[in-house]
Amino acid sequence: MTLEEIAKRLKLKALYSDYENIFCTNAYCSDLLSDIMGNAKDESILISIQAHKNTVAVASLKDSPAIIICNNRPIGEDMIEACKDEGIALFVTGDNQFEVSAKLYACLHKALPS
Amino acid sequence: MKIKADLHIHSCLSPCGSLDMSPKRIVQELKQRDIALAALTDHNTSLNCPAFASLCKAEGIQALFGMEVQSSEEIHILALFNELSASLDFSAFVYALIPNIKNIPQKTGDQVYVDEDENILGELDKYLLNSIPLSIDEVAKEIHERGGLVVPAHIDRPSFSLTSQFGLVTEGEWDALEIVKIDREPAIDTKGYPLVFSSDAHHPFQIASRLSILEVDEDFLRKNCVDLSELKEAFKTARCESKPAFSKNLL
Repeated sequence: MTLEEIAKRLKLKALYSDYENIFCTNAYCSDLLSDIMGNAKDESILISIQAHKNTVAVASLKDSPAIIICNNRPIGEDMIEACKDEGIALFVTGDNQFEVSAKLYACLHKALPS
Repeated sequence: MKIKADLHIHSCLSPCGSLDMSPKRIVQELKQRDIALAALTDHNTSLNCPAFASLCKAEGIQALFGMEVQSSEEIHILALFNELSASLDFSAFVYALIPNIKNIPQKTGDQVYVDEDENILGELDKYLLNSIPLSIDEVAKEIHERGGLVVPAHIDRPSFSLTSQFGLVTEGEWDALEIVKIDREPAIDTKGYPLVFSSDAHHPFQIASRLSILEVDEDFLRKNCVDLSELKEAFKTARCESKPAFSKNLL
């Protein structure tokens, strides 16, 4: 599913509008950047509450197309600028990590594993 | 007597540190700003400390050698050693524990260590801003066993801190806590630990923009190396001095 469709379905707010509308197939949810680096598959959307620039550095290392910040965590200008520089879409939502993960899993997969 | 101290400074070796932050540049700025005691604390490494050591000695600045360790909980802790060999030994120990995620300088910044004249001696392969598989208590124990001081970094910051990761200051073998939000009354219970203040400078203009005023004996600065017991005592009455980060235009 493309980022624009995901944003629409999950009612995500984009922190800047001219992001690249990439087709995504995977996501990873974690609040430890070291865990993301060690375990996220490349090109996964990142779901986190770590709303700071270092998350962008990690997203860049993992070639992530987007970061979704949960719980309406405040996001500083430096994180937004870093995302723009790296070409990584940045979204925020009032949903928590569990809700975002569940909804995004449904978007990216037809059915839960049996 | 009162001295000015900046105990949290990054060099060009930290991926997030500016390439301008050679030990030579750092020591120039420290001298210009009348800093009597300073520590070089790159992320998970001390490889720029040898150059820092000799440059500080040449300028009559008392130096501490260490790093900002990232624990398994992603909490940053300052390790401060008064002996270069202890710091380098700890640095080798920590580097071996960092996961093997390769740094990509174009994405995350350079990780270069240099000599006194800013000649590049080498580059570190593993991305330094990562966690080692030791808890904060294990990190503290390791630092103390090697003769260093332990200061959880920026405890009032919303990332990589005791409060961001645990929601509060937890008790542990801390010699002091580093505070960064100094323009307001701390809303955090700091549990009676001494509080210290440093710049966490990543760029030259940030050096000594926030520092500790420490009360020490007259001979503190004349000793061959920092007296850590005396420094621990001085932490108890540290006061903060801060200036807006010095304008880049003035440098």
